[in-house]
Amino acid sequence: MDIVLEALTHTYPGGVTALQDVSFTLRAGEAVAIVGQNGAGKTTLVKHLNGLLLPTSGTVRLGETDTRRRSVAQMAAQVGYVFQNPDDQLFQPTVAREVAFGPHNLRWPAARAVAATAAALEAAGLTAVADRHPYDLAPSERKRVALAAVLAMETPIIVLDEPTTGQDYAGVARIGGLVDDLIAHGRTVITVTHDLDFCAEHFARVIVMGQGRVLLDGPARAVLAQADVLAQTDVEPPQLMRLAAQLPWGDAPLPLTVADFVATWIGRS
Amino acid sequence: MLTLDHVTYRYPNTERPALRDLSLTIPAGQFCAVVGANGAGKSTLAYTLAGFVPHFYHGTLTGAVTVAGLNTASVTLADLVRRVGLVFQNPYNQISGTKFTVREEVAFGLENLGVPRAEMLERIAATMQLTGIAALAERSPLTLSGGQMQRVALASVLAMQPQVLVLDEPASQLDPIGTREVLAAVQALAASRRITVVLIEHKLEWVAAFADRVLVLADGALVADGPPAEVLASDVLLTHAAGQTRYTQAARLARAQGGWPANQPLPVTLPQAVAAFQAARP
Amino acid sequence: MSEQFSIFQSRPSRLHALHPVTKLVLTFCLLAAALLLPGLWTNYLLFALAILPLATLGQVTGPLLRAVWPTVLPFAISVFLIQGIIYPHGTPLFSLGPLTLKREGLLLAISGTGRILMVVSNFILFALITRPDTLMLSLVQRGVPGGLAYIVVASIQLVPRFRARAAAILDAQHARGLETTGSLRRRLSAIVPLVVPLILSSLVDVEERALAIEARAFNHPGPKTSLIEITEAGWERPARWLLLLTVPVSLGLRLWLG
Repeated sequence: MDIVLEALTHTYPGGVTALQDVSFTLRAGEAVAIVGQNGAGKTTLVKHLNGLLLPTSGTVRLGETDTRRRSVAQMAAQVGYVFQNPDDQLFQPTVAREVAFGPHNLRWPAARAVAATAAALEAAGLTAVADRHPYDLAPSERKRVALAAVLAMETPIIVLDEPTTGQDYAGVARIGGLVDDLIAHGRTVITVTHDLDFCAEHFARVIVMGQGRVLLDGPARAVLAQADVLAQTDVEPPQLMRLAAQLPWGDAPLPLTVADFVATWIGRS
Repeated sequence: MLTLDHVTYRYPNTERPALRDLSLTIPAGQFCAVVGANGAGKSTLAYTLAGFVPHFYHGTLTGAVTVAGLNTASVTLADLVRRVGLVFQNPYNQISGTKFTVREEVAFGLENLGVPRAEMLERIAATMQLTGIAALAERSPLTLSGGQMQRVALASVLAMQPQVLVLDEPASQLDPIGTREVLAAVQALAASRRITVVLIEHKLEWVAAFADRVLVLADGALVADGPPAEVLASDVLLTHAAGQTRYTQAARLARAQGGWPANQPLPVTLPQAVAAFQAARP
Repeated sequence: MSEQFSIFQSRPSRLHALHPVTKLVLTFCLLAAALLLPGLWTNYLLFALAILPLATLGQVTGPLLRAVWPTVLPFAISVFLIQGIIYPHGTPLFSLGPLTLKREGLLLAISGTGRILMVVSNFILFALITRPDTLMLSLVQRGVPGGLAYIVVASIQLVPRFRARAAAILDAQHARGLETTGSLRRRLSAIVPLVVPLILSSLVDVEERALAIEARAFNHPGPKTSLIEITEAGWERPARWLLLLTVPVSLGLRLWLG
């Protein structure tokens, strides 16, 4: 299902307008990254996707349903949200039970819940620690527990809020692989990130936010090349695009991945 | 100057040492980066330099750690925190929780040190300027974003005028240009005031751009030590799953596919990559 | 404001201008009076003659009443029901169907509510007019150990911090499909997923906060200074001693009249 935002404006009770007249459609199966400076409204925006926040004006529709008409828990079956801080949700004595909590809330039959939990643990690289207490794990591992907990709910749409923060190289690669996998299975993945390389390598569409407004919205190659617009919101193009910009690249497509870059560069030579 | 002499450390009730027989010397004013996979001991090293190991975390520490002329085990934590400023990875854990504005928050450490009020005001103004948060002075710390909070934490620590500054993954919270500004400010400070900087970071492009020296930790031990151009291009990082910058990865792949002269060193920064790829064109 | 870590309200009032320790002593003496003084209606009188005028002086009457009301009213109702009606013995006053209001129960309910009213409003008034940081500093300057001072201060902040944390946890668990409205059974089963993260993350929070203030030289020996100017009028010191005299007076009145 699609998520449609129409003239979304959100003003916090303190008077700060975090989002100003935002409109776009997130289509089923898309991989979308939302980038922008700290305080641009990225997290505020994605919290509207599952009803955690409701618009001050404008509408957000999940499929046919206005998010005002459903509770967050009801929309949880459609939209999985991985929070930045995993400690806000961990309460079970083992990782496995934590991951099984979502399926339990969705009232799945036992067989399905068990299978989904196992698959999620595997995808997040947590099978080895499934019986450990989440608080015995390092913070970066706890983050993956939170991720697995949402994966297990097998929602068609997944929102990741800064998924790579605190992860090491291997952790980022694993999460990237996971995103690719979800997209390959037709799920919609939306991420807020300021890791532009991670963004370029896994997300086909990029939305750039600045001061509560959408500055750019389009295919990754086109959007991430616009260094001057990105700079307005404290963002820089990914490493390889910056490199290509200083090499005689001609009109070859700009590189999103290392393989892209080398193939084009060798091809041009 | 910082010295570790055969330092081994175990957290309480653990078998595996978090730091294994580490020996190194970091001269004053050096901008030193520490990289490695999660669990390699980077944060533990940061805590050890700041004296939280062993004073806060207890456990078993063998070997000698000398910071700014003091042996960390034989002085109190209070003596050390003045000399070593530590900016944590999660800025929300760094705020005092008792201050209503950013300005007051930055003042907290100075109040504890008994700095006279007039001097406090000067130092606060200077560090807020340096870290780009002067405009946030009257805001409540709790309404700030992660990146803004990280800058407040840095300003608070810098106001205490430490001789050593340890930064634990600043890029994880800051947006790209924010990271660049903060690291540039820290680098300038290191040069002008001879502050030793220890940067713990996963994003190697920042290490490549700012560090004078890179230490690679794996499993608590030091496995590489040298200038960024050398260490970040080497295989050691790959062996210990510490990653590479995209520039290095691209050059490596090009080399594997025959599009790179065998003798040309692998670049680690953007300028190096531009020069290297241009030179490598047939 | 849900984003605040304390309910302190800054006002240009004479009450706010008092030294933090004076405010602490005042609160302590009122607490002693509330707990010790005999009489059924004493606490209500104290509330009307001490708390309300002080709140007016401090320009925080509105916030005080808004904070006190939702705490005291449910308590009053439940103690009235339990003591007044459910408690089996005593002199019946009047009946309504199967429920009989007893005199002794009613008196207990009135005095219990009065005590809660005083204790809660006293504490809230203190939090409304006292800055946590200047209080902490003043205590440490007077030789109170740093850890204890921090705990005293942290206790003022506990409720707002918990509330902010609880809101974040509620969001996170809702997003995992936890329903917290509807049937009683559903609401009861929502308790564990809400309370456990609150406790666990608060414990982690405590350790991390201890580390954080340590890193900011909180335990540095020697006198501390303050960015916010802490003033103490000349008459405050003797006034504090006078106030403290009310404690043995309250005690005496209890022993003599109680």
